[in-house]
Amino acid sequence: MVDTTAGIAPRARFLTRERIIKWAPLLVLGVLVLLFPFFEWLEDVRAGDAHTYLLDSRFFSIRNAARIGISATPALMVAIGVTFIIIMGSIDLSMEGTVSVCAVIFAFVFIAWGGTVLSWAWLAIPIAMLVGAAMGFINGLVHVKLKIPSFMASLAMGFVGTGLALLLTGGDRVRVEDPIFRSLLTERWFNFPVMVYVALVFLLIAWFIQSRTTLGRNFYAVGGGEELAHASGLNVERVRLMGFTLAGVFFAVGALLAVGRIGIAETATGNNFMFVSITAVVVGGTALWGGIGGVWNTLVGVLIVNVINNGMVVIGLPAFLQDAVLGILVIIAVVLSTDRRSVSFVK
Amino acid sequence: MKLDIIKPYLPWITLLVLVLVVGIANPAFFDPQGMIALVADIVPLFIMALGMTFAIYIGGIDLSVQQMANLVTVIATVYLAQFGIGVAFVCVLAGFLFGAASGFVTTRLYVPSFVSTLAMGFVALSGAKYLSGERALSMDATLRNESFGWMFGNTVGIPHELIIAAVLLVIAWFLQTRTTFGRSLKAVGSGELAAVASGLNVDRIKILAFAISGTFAAVAGLMFSVKLSGGDANLANGFLLLAIVAVLVGGTPLTGGVGGVINTVIGTLIVVVIRSAMVYLEIDATQQQMVFGVVLIAAIALTIDRSKLRGVVK
Repeated sequence: MVDTTAGIAPRARFLTRERIIKWAPLLVLGVLVLLFPFFEWLEDVRAGDAHTYLLDSRFFSIRNAARIGISATPALMVAIGVTFIIIMGSIDLSMEGTVSVCAVIFAFVFIAWGGTVLSWAWLAIPIAMLVGAAMGFINGLVHVKLKIPSFMASLAMGFVGTGLALLLTGGDRVRVEDPIFRSLLTERWFNFPVMVYVALVFLLIAWFIQSRTTLGRNFYAVGGGEELAHASGLNVERVRLMGFTLAGVFFAVGALLAVGRIGIAETATGNNFMFVSITAVVVGGTALWGGIGGVWNTLVGVLIVNVINNGMVVIGLPAFLQDAVLGILVIIAVVLSTDRRSVSFVK
Repeated sequence: MKLDIIKPYLPWITLLVLVLVVGIANPAFFDPQGMIALVADIVPLFIMALGMTFAIYIGGIDLSVQQMANLVTVIATVYLAQFGIGVAFVCVLAGFLFGAASGFVTTRLYVPSFVSTLAMGFVALSGAKYLSGERALSMDATLRNESFGWMFGNTVGIPHELIIAAVLLVIAWFLQTRTTFGRSLKAVGSGELAAVASGLNVDRIKILAFAISGTFAAVAGLMFSVKLSGGDANLANGFLLLAIVAVLVGGTPLTGGVGGVINTVIGTLIVVVIRSAMVYLEIDATQQQMVFGVVLIAAIALTIDRSKLRGVVK
């Protein structure tokens, strides 16, 4: 591409359109983080109370940041999994089923083999991840081998997953009460629970896969132009299969964190993950048509959605309004982070 | 070559095979009255899927239909006393406007329809919660029967719901196949850039397609509301994915441009047969969801015409 900005003043070159759009999601997050304390400030000033902006804020506090972290981590893992799929230009709607199955199988194995991390029961953790990988692999097989578009294949696999979880539990809840496993939530380092650090480690792993491995590069190649990738000798089917398998592993991690958070595994563990995670991915600036974005975008997107949800509660917005405000803010966030000139049309 | 001839009829064949399998396993399934009752029962889902067909036909998707129907159940219940049968007009108008708003956000603000309709669905949900005060409301029985009693009766053994469904189907079919608007829908679905280049006002067509989807969702919501004699912000939950599945199994791919409303009829019937087969084949309640998913994969694998997916399967 020809550098059209050459010759323009350095200041203008620093603020190129591409740069602004690239950083737009982070900007939206920053504005939101400053916006909610502003409403708190406004309320106190109106009531005539003393209130220093940010310092006296209930929203802008470490305690609340930890709360946002707890609510965001399972969703972050699921969203990272689906990010790889969306980068390939496909979509995965099976996460609710996969999360439920992984959570339930983890809980069963964990309890059957001792019920504490200090016994052989710790093997339940890798087993759950293997189950996630297997579910993702089957999902990929249905998509690639039966040539069913991923939307339909994964939607149906989601039904199978939820059904399997229901079949395994018979509709019951399984409690996981091991204090060491629950320390994911209860043990705090520097004010944040352990699960936040676990999620951080997996985020770094995802980032490594995305930017430092051939597989990660291939995701972008497939998403940027599948026929081109195929013509250059890439085994597209294999990349897709690997992508769905990898996504399954991250769904499993999300399931483990979700169980760690509430201490219960059931069919409903996976509920609500589908729309939240995909919305978060898109809000973060990863394009649904593939080839653009990545795991850092997803981190910002998940934080945006969770900050909005948390902030609305903190400033005491009426419950019936919260859905609409979330919807409108999501639209605004996507509008701000879309590069209109690079998009010929939107489906 | 032979395969090419039967390809367009694959959804029909799938439906027929399913019906035969269930019927042979349990002949009670063939009871005509039972079948009519079965089909009449899913009319709201069918109407929702019918509207969704337009959104998918142009290559988009409408995830707001369920919340739209929820909102309409509340509107219908709250304003029935005030407007009488006129509330139907209010409901349909609300559906049209909400759908048009989704279309506007999609086309003019460049938000993918997956996100824009999801977000507009949240707005509708808020509206429903606000109007209902987050409670389950119920309709006044006499008012309901006066205004909408005609929706649920029988004429020579045919439930009125089926007649309503048939009328809406004819309208949708006429729109899709016999009008310039229908032609332009196909043009947009098959190749949006080509449609723009040939001078079509693509934005307007897409906005209208989403508006139609919203309108049908509103009608479905109205039927729910009258049927269950009440309104609630969660009344229609669980229908969104089924409506999408009905459209896709019928053979209208997400890429748009092929399929159409007739396919949605078959798709809805396939979904219904699979669902009711569970009852007739006495499959345990805990296994039903899983069996549904597996049969669905088989049905989709049989039904979809891969030659029309244009090369890449995403």
